[in-house]
Amino acid sequence: MREIPMVELRGVCKSFGNLQVLKDINLRVAKGEVVSIIGPSGSGKSTLLRCVNYLERPDSGTVSIAGNPVPEDENALNKARAKVGMVFQHFNLFPHMTALENVMEGPVQVKKMPKHEAKELALSLLSKVGLADKADAYPRRLSGGQKQRVAIARALAMQPDVMLFDEATSALDPELIGEVLQVMRDLAAEGMTMLVVTHEIGFAREVSDRIVVLADGQIVEEGRPEKLLSAPKHQRTREFLAKILPARA
Amino acid sequence: MKQSIISTALFIQDILPALLRASGVTVKLTLYSIILGIVIGTGIALMRISRNKVLSGLGTAYVTVLRGTPLMVQILIVYFALPQLGLRLDKFSSAVVALGINASAYIAEIIRAAIESIDPGQMEAARSLGMSYGLAMRRIIIPQTYRRLLPPLGNEFIAMLKDTSLIAFIGGEELTRAGQHIISATFRPWPVYITVAAIYLCMTALFSLFVQLGERKLLQ
Ligand SMILES: Nc1ncnc2c1ncn2[C@@H]1O[C@H](COP(=O)(O)OP(=O)(O)OP(=O)(O)O)[C@@H](O)[C@H]1O
Ligand SMILES: [Mg+2]
Repeated sequence: MREIPMVELRGVCKSFGNLQVLKDINLRVAKGEVVSIIGPSGSGKSTLLRCVNYLERPDSGTVSIAGNPVPEDENALNKARAKVGMVFQHFNLFPHMTALENVMEGPVQVKKMPKHEAKELALSLLSKVGLADKADAYPRRLSGGQKQRVAIARALAMQPDVMLFDEATSALDPELIGEVLQVMRDLAAEGMTMLVVTHEIGFAREVSDRIVVLADGQIVEEGRPEKLLSAPKHQRTREFLAKILPARA
Repeated sequence: MKQSIISTALFIQDILPALLRASGVTVKLTLYSIILGIVIGTGIALMRISRNKVLSGLGTAYVTVLRGTPLMVQILIVYFALPQLGLRLDKFSSAVVALGINASAYIAEIIRAAIESIDPGQMEAARSLGMSYGLAMRRIIIPQTYRRLLPPLGNEFIAMLKDTSLIAFIGGEELTRAGQHIISATFRPWPVYITVAAIYLCMTALFSLFVQLGERKLLQ
Protein backbone atom coordinates (compact mmCIF):
# COMPACT_ATOMS: atom_id res chain seq x y z
CA MET A 1 0.00 0.00 0.00
CA ARG A 2 1.31 3.44 -0.90
CA GLU A 3 1.71 6.03 1.76
CA ILE A 4 -0.90 8.82 1.74
CA PRO A 5 0.71 11.87 0.13
CA MET A 6 0.99 15.01 2.26
CA VAL A 7 -0.25 17.14 -0.62
CA GLU A 8 -2.23 15.84 -3.52
CA LEU A 9 -3.68 17.82 -6.41
CA ARG A 10 -5.98 15.99 -8.76
CA GLY A 11 -7.19 17.51 -11.99
CA VAL A 12 -6.94 21.04 -10.66
CA CYS A 13 -8.09 23.69 -13.14
CA LYS A 14 -8.26 27.43 -12.57
CA SER A 15 -9.22 30.29 -14.87
CA PHE A 16 -9.27 34.04 -14.43
CA GLY A 17 -11.93 35.22 -16.85
CA ASN A 18 -10.99 33.81 -20.23
CA LEU A 19 -7.45 33.04 -19.18
CA GLN A 20 -6.97 29.42 -18.19
CA VAL A 21 -4.07 29.57 -15.76
CA LEU A 22 -4.01 25.96 -14.53
CA LYS A 23 -4.90 23.10 -16.82
CA ASP A 24 -5.50 19.75 -15.17
CA ILE A 25 -2.71 19.80 -12.61
CA ASN A 26 -1.90 16.46 -10.96
CA LEU A 27 0.75 16.50 -8.29
CA ARG A 28 1.61 14.38 -5.27
CA VAL A 29 4.05 15.42 -2.59
CA ALA A 30 5.07 12.80 -0.06
CA LYS A 31 5.60 13.54 3.62
CA GLY A 32 9.04 15.09 4.07
CA GLU A 33 9.51 15.60 0.37
CA VAL A 34 10.82 18.88 -1.02
CA VAL A 35 9.43 19.75 -4.43
CA SER A 36 10.59 22.78 -6.39
CA ILE A 37 8.34 24.32 -8.99
CA ILE A 38 10.06 26.21 -11.77
CA GLY A 39 8.81 27.74 -14.98
CA PRO A 40 8.49 30.95 -16.92
CA SER A 41 6.75 34.03 -15.56
CA GLY A 42 2.99 33.79 -15.87
CA SER A 43 3.02 30.00 -16.16
CA GLY A 44 0.79 29.66 -13.09
CA LYS A 45 3.30 28.80 -10.34
CA SER A 46 1.88 31.21 -7.79
CA THR A 47 -1.67 30.23 -8.66
CA LEU A 48 -0.81 26.56 -8.17
CA LEU A 49 0.68 27.26 -4.76
CA ARG A 50 -2.27 29.43 -3.77
CA CYS A 51 -4.65 26.66 -4.75
CA VAL A 52 -2.97 24.35 -2.25
CA ASN A 53 -4.28 26.41 0.68
CA TYR A 54 -7.32 27.70 -1.16
CA LEU A 55 -6.25 31.32 -1.16
CA GLU A 56 -7.39 30.68 -4.71
CA ARG A 57 -10.31 28.31 -5.13
CA PRO A 58 -9.82 25.84 -7.98
CA ASP A 59 -12.62 25.80 -10.57
CA SER A 60 -12.47 22.02 -10.62
CA GLY A 61 -10.37 19.19 -9.28
CA THR A 62 -9.46 18.39 -5.70
CA VAL A 63 -6.71 19.35 -3.30
CA SER A 64 -5.99 17.09 -0.35
CA ILE A 65 -3.72 17.70 2.61
CA ALA A 66 -2.63 14.54 4.40
CA GLY A 67 -5.44 12.67 2.71
CA ASN A 68 -8.14 15.15 3.71
CA PRO A 69 -9.77 17.10 0.90
CA VAL A 70 -9.63 20.84 1.51
CA PRO A 71 -13.13 21.61 2.82
CA GLU A 72 -15.55 24.13 1.31
CA ASP A 73 -17.03 25.17 4.61
CA GLU A 74 -15.44 28.41 5.88
CA ASN A 75 -14.71 27.27 9.42
CA ALA A 76 -13.23 23.98 8.36
CA LEU A 77 -11.25 25.75 5.65
CA ASN A 78 -9.72 28.11 8.21
CA LYS A 79 -8.66 25.10 10.27
CA ALA A 80 -7.18 23.43 7.20
CA ARG A 81 -5.25 26.59 6.24
CA ALA A 82 -3.73 26.75 9.69
CA LYS A 83 -1.90 23.49 8.89
CA VAL A 84 -0.38 24.87 5.69
CA GLY A 85 2.32 27.49 6.16
CA MET A 86 2.90 30.05 3.45
CA VAL A 87 5.84 32.35 2.80
CA PHE A 88 5.36 35.20 0.35
CA GLN A 89 7.70 36.99 -2.01
CA HIS A 90 7.05 40.31 -0.28
CA PHE A 91 7.10 38.86 3.26
CA ASN A 92 3.74 40.39 4.23
CA LEU A 93 4.78 40.82 7.83
CA PHE A 94 2.27 42.69 9.97
CA PRO A 95 3.85 46.15 10.21
CA HIS A 96 2.03 47.15 13.40
CA MET A 97 3.51 44.26 15.36
CA THR A 98 7.03 43.45 16.48
CA ALA A 99 8.82 40.39 15.13
CA LEU A 100 7.84 38.51 18.26
CA GLU A 101 4.19 39.58 18.01
CA ASN A 102 4.13 38.60 14.34
CA VAL A 103 5.20 35.08 15.27
CA MET A 104 2.87 34.87 18.28
CA GLU A 105 -0.19 36.13 16.41
CA GLY A 106 -1.20 32.83 14.79
CA PRO A 107 -0.81 30.62 17.87
CA VAL A 108 -2.56 33.12 20.17
CA GLN A 109 -5.43 34.19 17.91
CA VAL A 110 -6.05 31.03 15.92
CA LYS A 111 -4.92 28.23 18.20
CA LYS A 112 -5.88 30.10 21.39
CA MET A 113 -2.52 29.21 22.88
CA PRO A 114 -1.83 30.95 26.23
CA LYS A 115 0.33 34.04 25.71
CA HIS A 116 3.32 32.91 27.77
CA GLU A 117 3.42 29.61 25.93
CA ALA A 118 3.17 31.34 22.54
CA LYS A 119 5.92 33.72 23.55
CA GLU A 120 8.22 30.85 24.41
CA LEU A 121 7.43 29.15 21.13
CA ALA A 122 7.95 32.38 19.17
CA LEU A 123 11.28 33.09 20.88
CA SER A 124 12.55 29.61 20.14
CA LEU A 125 11.50 29.95 16.48
CA LEU A 126 13.14 33.37 16.19
CA SER A 127 16.39 31.97 17.51
CA LYS A 128 16.04 29.05 15.13
CA VAL A 129 16.04 31.52 12.22
CA GLY A 130 18.88 33.45 13.86
CA LEU A 131 16.87 36.47 15.00
CA ALA A 132 16.53 36.08 18.75
CA ASP A 133 18.00 39.57 19.19
CA LYS A 134 15.38 41.13 16.89
CA ALA A 135 12.33 39.92 18.82
CA ASP A 136 11.25 43.44 19.76
CA ALA A 137 12.03 45.09 16.43
CA TYR A 138 9.24 46.27 14.14
CA PRO A 139 9.41 45.01 10.55
CA ARG A 140 10.42 48.40 9.16
CA ARG A 141 13.63 48.16 11.17
CA LEU A 142 14.56 44.79 9.63
CA SER A 143 16.44 44.04 6.42
CA GLY A 144 14.67 42.07 3.69
CA GLY A 145 16.44 38.87 4.66
CA GLN A 146 15.53 39.34 8.30
CA LYS A 147 11.91 40.07 7.39
CA GLN A 148 11.69 36.89 5.39
CA ARG A 149 13.18 34.85 8.21
CA VAL A 150 10.60 36.31 10.62
CA ALA A 151 7.91 35.43 8.06
CA ILE A 152 9.18 31.85 7.99
CA ALA A 153 9.13 31.72 11.80
CA ARG A 154 5.58 33.11 11.75
CA ALA A 155 4.44 30.33 9.43
CA LEU A 156 6.28 27.67 11.45
CA ALA A 157 4.59 28.85 14.65
CA MET A 158 1.38 27.21 13.47
CA GLN A 159 3.27 23.90 13.34
CA PRO A 160 2.19 23.26 9.78
CA ASP A 161 2.25 19.94 7.97
CA VAL A 162 3.42 21.61 4.78
CA MET A 163 5.29 24.81 3.96
CA LEU A 164 4.68 26.71 0.73
CA PHE A 165 7.30 29.16 -0.49
CA ASP A 166 6.42 31.55 -3.31
CA GLU A 167 9.66 33.05 -4.60
CA ALA A 168 10.76 33.68 -1.05
CA THR A 169 14.07 35.20 -2.15
CA SER A 170 13.08 37.09 -5.31
CA ALA A 171 12.59 40.43 -3.59
CA LEU A 172 15.90 40.26 -1.74
CA ASP A 173 19.21 41.92 -2.44
CA PRO A 174 21.64 39.27 -3.67
CA GLU A 175 23.73 39.36 -0.50
CA LEU A 176 20.66 38.59 1.63
CA ILE A 177 19.44 35.57 -0.32
CA GLY A 178 21.86 33.17 1.30
CA GLU A 179 20.58 33.60 4.85
CA VAL A 180 17.01 32.81 3.80
CA LEU A 181 18.02 29.82 1.68
CA GLN A 182 19.99 28.52 4.67
CA VAL A 183 16.88 28.58 6.85
CA MET A 184 14.95 26.75 4.13
CA ARG A 185 17.77 24.22 3.76
CA ASP A 186 17.68 23.54 7.52
CA LEU A 187 13.95 23.12 7.38
CA ALA A 188 14.22 20.61 4.56
CA ALA A 189 16.87 18.70 6.48
CA GLU A 190 14.51 18.45 9.44
CA GLY A 191 12.02 16.64 7.26
CA MET A 192 9.52 19.42 6.57
CA THR A 193 7.32 18.84 3.55
CA MET A 194 7.97 21.77 1.24
CA LEU A 195 6.59 23.09 -2.00
CA VAL A 196 8.95 25.75 -3.29
CA VAL A 197 8.41 28.08 -6.23
CA THR A 198 11.85 29.44 -7.03
CA HIS A 199 14.17 30.89 -9.60
CA GLU A 200 17.14 29.70 -7.56
CA ILE A 201 18.11 26.72 -9.68
CA GLY A 202 21.13 26.03 -7.50
CA PHE A 203 18.92 25.73 -4.47
CA ALA A 204 16.40 23.60 -6.34
CA ARG A 205 19.16 21.27 -7.46
CA GLU A 206 20.77 20.94 -4.08
CA VAL A 207 17.76 20.75 -1.77
CA SER A 208 14.78 19.40 -3.63
CA ASP A 209 13.91 15.78 -4.10
CA ARG A 210 12.02 16.59 -7.24
CA ILE A 211 11.64 19.49 -9.66
CA VAL A 212 8.38 20.20 -11.42
CA VAL A 213 8.38 22.34 -14.55
CA LEU A 214 5.28 24.38 -15.19
CA ALA A 215 4.62 26.02 -18.56
CA ASP A 216 1.34 27.55 -19.72
CA GLY A 217 -0.51 26.10 -16.76
CA GLN A 218 0.61 22.54 -17.33
CA ILE A 219 3.23 20.35 -15.73
CA VAL A 220 5.40 19.64 -18.74
CA GLU A 221 8.08 17.68 -16.95
CA GLU A 222 9.10 16.48 -13.52
CA GLY A 223 11.95 14.47 -12.13
CA ARG A 224 14.97 14.28 -9.89
CA PRO A 225 16.92 17.54 -10.06
CA GLU A 226 20.23 16.24 -11.36
CA LYS A 227 18.47 14.35 -14.11
CA LEU A 228 15.98 17.00 -15.08
CA LEU A 229 18.52 19.81 -15.07
CA SER A 230 21.25 17.99 -16.98
CA ALA A 231 19.02 16.21 -19.47
CA PRO A 232 15.72 18.03 -19.79
CA LYS A 233 13.31 16.12 -22.00
CA HIS A 234 10.76 18.73 -22.85
CA GLN A 235 11.34 21.58 -25.25
CA ARG A 236 9.74 24.09 -22.86
CA THR A 237 12.10 23.01 -20.07
CA ARG A 238 15.12 23.44 -22.31
CA GLU A 239 13.99 26.88 -23.39
CA PHE A 240 13.36 27.95 -19.81
CA LEU A 241 16.66 26.60 -18.49
CA ALA A 242 18.56 28.18 -21.35
CA LYS A 243 17.11 31.51 -20.35
CA ILE A 244 17.94 31.42 -16.67
CA LEU A 245 21.15 29.40 -16.55
CA PRO A 246 24.40 30.99 -17.65
CA ALA A 247 25.45 29.60 -21.01
CA ARG A 248 27.47 26.43 -20.63
CA ALA A 249 30.43 25.58 -22.81
CA MET B 1 -15.40 106.52 17.39
CA LYS B 2 -13.23 105.58 20.32
CA GLN B 3 -16.27 105.45 22.52
CA SER B 4 -18.10 103.08 20.23
CA ILE B 5 -15.11 100.69 20.21
CA ILE B 6 -15.05 100.66 23.96
CA SER B 7 -18.78 100.13 24.24
CA THR B 8 -18.58 97.26 21.74
CA ALA B 9 -15.77 95.67 23.68
CA LEU B 10 -17.76 95.91 26.87
CA PHE B 11 -20.78 94.48 25.11
CA ILE B 12 -18.77 91.50 23.86
CA GLN B 13 -17.40 90.97 27.33
CA ASP B 14 -20.96 90.84 28.60
CA ILE B 15 -22.23 88.29 26.11
CA LEU B 16 -19.11 86.10 26.07
CA PRO B 17 -20.01 83.86 29.06
CA ALA B 18 -23.36 82.90 27.52
CA LEU B 19 -21.76 82.21 24.14
CA LEU B 20 -18.97 80.14 25.67
CA ARG B 21 -21.51 78.09 27.59
CA ALA B 22 -23.34 77.46 24.34
CA SER B 23 -20.12 76.42 22.60
CA GLY B 24 -19.87 73.66 25.20
CA VAL B 25 -23.11 72.31 23.72
CA THR B 26 -21.66 72.69 20.22
CA VAL B 27 -18.59 70.65 21.15
CA LYS B 28 -20.69 67.98 22.85
CA LEU B 29 -23.00 67.83 19.85
CA THR B 30 -20.01 67.43 17.53
CA LEU B 31 -18.35 64.78 19.65
CA TYR B 32 -21.44 62.60 20.07
CA SER B 33 -22.34 62.92 16.40
CA ILE B 34 -18.86 61.93 15.28
CA ILE B 35 -18.85 58.94 17.63
CA LEU B 36 -22.23 57.83 16.31
CA GLY B 37 -20.92 58.46 12.79
CA ILE B 38 -17.85 56.29 13.38
CA VAL B 39 -19.90 53.42 14.82
CA ILE B 40 -22.43 53.40 11.98
CA GLY B 41 -19.81 54.33 9.38
CA THR B 42 -17.62 51.34 10.27
CA GLY B 43 -20.57 49.03 9.75
CA ILE B 44 -21.46 50.66 6.43
CA ALA B 45 -17.81 50.50 5.28
CA LEU B 46 -17.66 46.76 6.05
CA MET B 47 -20.92 46.29 4.14
CA ARG B 48 -19.57 48.18 1.15
CA ILE B 49 -16.44 46.03 0.86
CA SER B 50 -18.35 42.80 1.49
CA ARG B 51 -18.42 40.22 -1.27
CA ASN B 52 -22.12 39.80 -0.55
CA LYS B 53 -23.83 41.78 -3.34
CA VAL B 54 -26.93 42.59 -1.29
CA LEU B 55 -24.90 43.96 1.62
CA SER B 56 -22.59 46.03 -0.55
CA GLY B 57 -25.58 47.30 -2.57
CA LEU B 58 -27.35 48.41 0.59
CA GLY B 59 -24.19 50.12 1.80
CA THR B 60 -23.77 51.96 -1.48
CA ALA B 61 -27.42 53.07 -1.46
CA TYR B 62 -27.07 54.37 2.09
CA VAL B 63 -24.01 56.44 1.21
CA THR B 64 -25.52 57.73 -2.04
CA VAL B 65 -28.73 58.93 -0.42
CA LEU B 66 -27.04 60.65 2.51
CA ARG B 67 -24.38 62.34 0.45
CA GLY B 68 -26.87 63.31 -2.23
CA THR B 69 -29.31 65.23 -0.04
CA PRO B 70 -28.80 68.45 1.97
CA LEU B 71 -27.90 68.07 5.61
CA MET B 72 -30.50 70.72 6.50
CA VAL B 73 -33.23 68.60 4.93
CA GLN B 74 -31.96 65.52 6.76
CA ILE B 75 -32.07 67.41 10.05
CA LEU B 76 -35.66 68.52 9.40
CA ILE B 77 -36.69 65.00 8.40
CA VAL B 78 -35.25 63.50 11.56
CA TYR B 79 -36.73 66.26 13.70
CA PHE B 80 -40.22 66.13 12.24
CA ALA B 81 -40.43 62.55 11.00
CA LEU B 82 -39.18 60.62 14.01
CA PRO B 83 -42.07 61.75 16.28
CA GLN B 84 -44.47 60.53 13.56
CA LEU B 85 -42.88 57.10 13.93
CA GLY B 86 -43.52 57.29 17.64
CA LEU B 87 -39.89 58.15 18.50
CA ARG B 88 -39.93 61.18 20.80
CA LEU B 89 -36.41 62.55 21.17
CA ASP B 90 -35.36 65.82 22.74
CA LYS B 91 -33.78 68.43 20.49
CA PHE B 92 -30.23 67.50 21.45
CA SER B 93 -30.73 63.79 20.78
CA SER B 94 -32.47 64.27 17.47
CA ALA B 95 -29.67 66.63 16.44
CA VAL B 96 -27.09 63.95 17.32
CA VAL B 97 -29.06 61.36 15.36
CA ALA B 98 -29.34 63.58 12.28
CA LEU B 99 -25.73 64.79 12.32
CA GLY B 100 -24.38 61.34 13.23
CA ILE B 101 -26.23 59.58 10.43
CA ASN B 102 -25.11 62.22 7.97
CA ALA B 103 -21.49 61.94 9.12
CA SER B 104 -21.63 58.13 8.97
CA ALA B 105 -21.94 58.24 5.18
CA TYR B 106 -18.80 60.33 4.80
CA ILE B 107 -16.96 58.39 7.48
CA ALA B 108 -17.92 55.09 5.82
CA GLU B 109 -16.17 56.26 2.67
CA ILE B 110 -13.12 57.37 4.66
CA ILE B 111 -12.89 53.98 6.37
CA ARG B 112 -13.49 52.07 3.16
CA ALA B 113 -10.74 53.97 1.37
CA ALA B 114 -8.37 53.32 4.27
CA ILE B 115 -9.12 49.59 4.30
CA GLU B 116 -8.72 49.35 0.54
CA SER B 117 -5.36 51.11 0.73
CA ILE B 118 -3.92 48.27 2.83
CA ASP B 119 -1.80 45.84 0.81
CA PRO B 120 -3.96 42.77 -0.05
CA GLY B 121 -0.95 40.67 0.94
CA GLN B 122 -1.80 41.49 4.56
CA MET B 123 -5.17 39.78 4.31
CA GLU B 124 -3.58 36.81 2.52
CA ALA B 125 -0.91 36.43 5.17
CA ALA B 126 -3.56 36.56 7.89
CA ARG B 127 -5.80 34.05 6.13
CA SER B 128 -2.85 31.73 5.49
CA LEU B 129 -2.36 31.54 9.27
CA GLY B 130 -5.91 30.21 9.50
CA MET B 131 -7.59 33.44 10.58
CA SER B 132 -11.22 33.97 9.62
CA TYR B 133 -12.09 37.04 7.54
CA GLY B 134 -13.50 38.81 10.59
CA LEU B 135 -10.53 38.04 12.81
CA ALA B 136 -8.12 39.16 10.08
CA MET B 137 -10.04 42.41 9.72
CA ARG B 138 -10.06 43.05 13.44
CA ARG B 139 -6.47 42.04 14.25
CA ILE B 140 -4.56 42.85 11.07
CA ILE B 141 -6.36 45.18 8.64
CA ILE B 142 -8.31 47.67 10.78
CA PRO B 143 -5.42 48.48 13.17
CA GLN B 144 -3.28 49.41 10.16
CA THR B 145 -5.86 51.97 9.04
CA TYR B 146 -5.75 54.08 12.21
CA ARG B 147 -2.90 56.29 11.10
CA ARG B 148 -4.49 56.87 7.71
CA LEU B 149 -7.86 57.58 9.31
CA LEU B 150 -6.78 60.33 11.65
CA PRO B 151 -6.32 63.21 9.15
CA PRO B 152 -9.60 62.70 7.21
CA LEU B 153 -11.53 62.04 10.43
CA GLY B 154 -10.07 65.26 11.84
CA ASN B 155 -11.37 67.12 8.79
CA GLU B 156 -14.74 65.47 9.27
CA PHE B 157 -14.77 66.61 12.91
CA ILE B 158 -14.05 70.20 11.90
CA ALA B 159 -16.71 70.16 9.20
CA MET B 160 -19.15 68.75 11.74
CA LEU B 161 -18.28 71.40 14.30
CA LYS B 162 -19.38 74.02 11.78
CA ASP B 163 -22.40 72.04 10.58
CA THR B 164 -23.82 71.90 14.09
CA SER B 165 -24.84 75.56 13.53
CA LEU B 166 -27.66 74.23 11.34
CA ILE B 167 -29.19 72.82 14.50
CA ALA B 168 -30.13 76.39 15.43
CA PHE B 169 -32.95 76.10 12.88
CA ILE B 170 -34.71 73.43 14.91
CA GLY B 171 -34.11 75.43 18.07
CA GLY B 172 -31.14 73.49 19.43
CA GLU B 173 -29.42 75.63 22.06
CA GLU B 174 -25.93 75.63 20.58
CA LEU B 175 -23.58 78.49 19.79
CA THR B 176 -25.32 80.03 16.78
CA ARG B 177 -28.73 79.84 18.44
CA ALA B 178 -27.36 81.46 21.59
CA GLY B 179 -26.11 84.31 19.41
CA GLN B 180 -29.56 84.70 17.86
CA HIS B 181 -31.11 84.91 21.32
CA ILE B 182 -28.76 87.70 22.31
CA ILE B 183 -29.45 89.56 19.06
CA SER B 184 -33.21 89.42 19.53
CA ALA B 185 -32.75 90.93 22.99
CA THR B 186 -30.13 93.57 22.10
CA PHE B 187 -30.62 94.27 18.36
CA ARG B 188 -26.85 94.33 17.80
CA PRO B 189 -26.33 91.60 15.18
CA TRP B 190 -22.85 92.21 13.90
CA PRO B 191 -20.75 92.21 17.10
CA VAL B 192 -22.61 89.09 18.14
CA TYR B 193 -22.12 87.23 14.88
CA ILE B 194 -18.47 88.29 14.71
CA THR B 195 -17.93 86.93 18.21
CA VAL B 196 -19.77 83.72 17.34
CA ALA B 197 -17.61 83.31 14.22
CA ALA B 198 -14.45 83.97 16.24
CA ILE B 199 -15.39 81.28 18.74
CA TYR B 200 -15.98 78.75 15.91
CA LEU B 201 -12.61 79.69 14.46
CA CYS B 202 -10.84 79.23 17.80
CA MET B 203 -12.43 75.82 18.24
CA THR B 204 -11.57 74.56 14.74
CA ALA B 205 -8.02 75.92 14.98
CA LEU B 206 -7.52 74.33 18.37
CA PHE B 207 -8.84 71.03 17.11
CA SER B 208 -6.65 71.11 13.98
CA LEU B 209 -3.71 71.49 16.31
CA PHE B 210 -4.79 68.41 18.31
CA VAL B 211 -5.07 66.39 15.12
CA GLN B 212 -1.61 67.45 14.01
CA LEU B 213 -0.12 66.52 17.38
CA GLY B 214 -1.94 63.19 17.29
CA GLU B 215 -0.67 62.51 13.81
CA ARG B 216 2.89 63.21 14.82
CA LYS B 217 2.47 60.86 17.74
CA LEU B 218 1.09 58.08 15.53
CA LEU B 219 3.88 58.56 12.99
CA GLN B 220 6.56 57.85 15.56
N1 LIG C 1 -6.28 37.30 -9.37
C1 LIG C 1 -6.01 37.27 -10.69
N2 LIG C 1 -6.85 37.81 -11.58
C2 LIG C 1 -6.59 37.77 -12.90
N3 LIG C 1 -5.52 37.20 -13.45
C3 LIG C 1 -4.62 36.64 -12.61
C4 LIG C 1 -4.82 36.64 -11.19
N4 LIG C 1 -3.76 36.01 -10.62
C5 LIG C 1 -2.96 35.63 -11.63
N5 LIG C 1 -3.46 35.99 -12.82
C6 LIG C 1 -2.87 35.71 -14.14
O1 LIG C 1 -2.63 34.34 -14.20
C7 LIG C 1 -1.40 34.05 -14.87
C8 LIG C 1 -0.53 33.18 -13.98
O2 LIG C 1 -0.19 33.94 -12.84
P1 LIG C 1 0.79 33.39 -11.72
O3 LIG C 1 0.97 34.50 -10.78
O4 LIG C 1 0.26 32.10 -11.21
O5 LIG C 1 2.10 33.12 -12.54
P2 LIG C 1 3.57 32.81 -12.00
O6 LIG C 1 4.01 31.61 -12.68
O7 LIG C 1 3.58 32.81 -10.53
O8 LIG C 1 4.37 34.06 -12.55
P3 LIG C 1 5.61 34.85 -11.89
O9 LIG C 1 6.83 34.03 -12.11
O10 LIG C 1 5.65 36.13 -12.66
O11 LIG C 1 5.28 35.06 -10.45
C9 LIG C 1 -0.80 35.39 -15.22
O12 LIG C 1 -1.08 35.66 -16.56
C10 LIG C 1 -1.51 36.36 -14.32
O13 LIG C 1 -1.61 37.61 -14.93
MG1 LIG D 1 4.38 34.11 -9.07
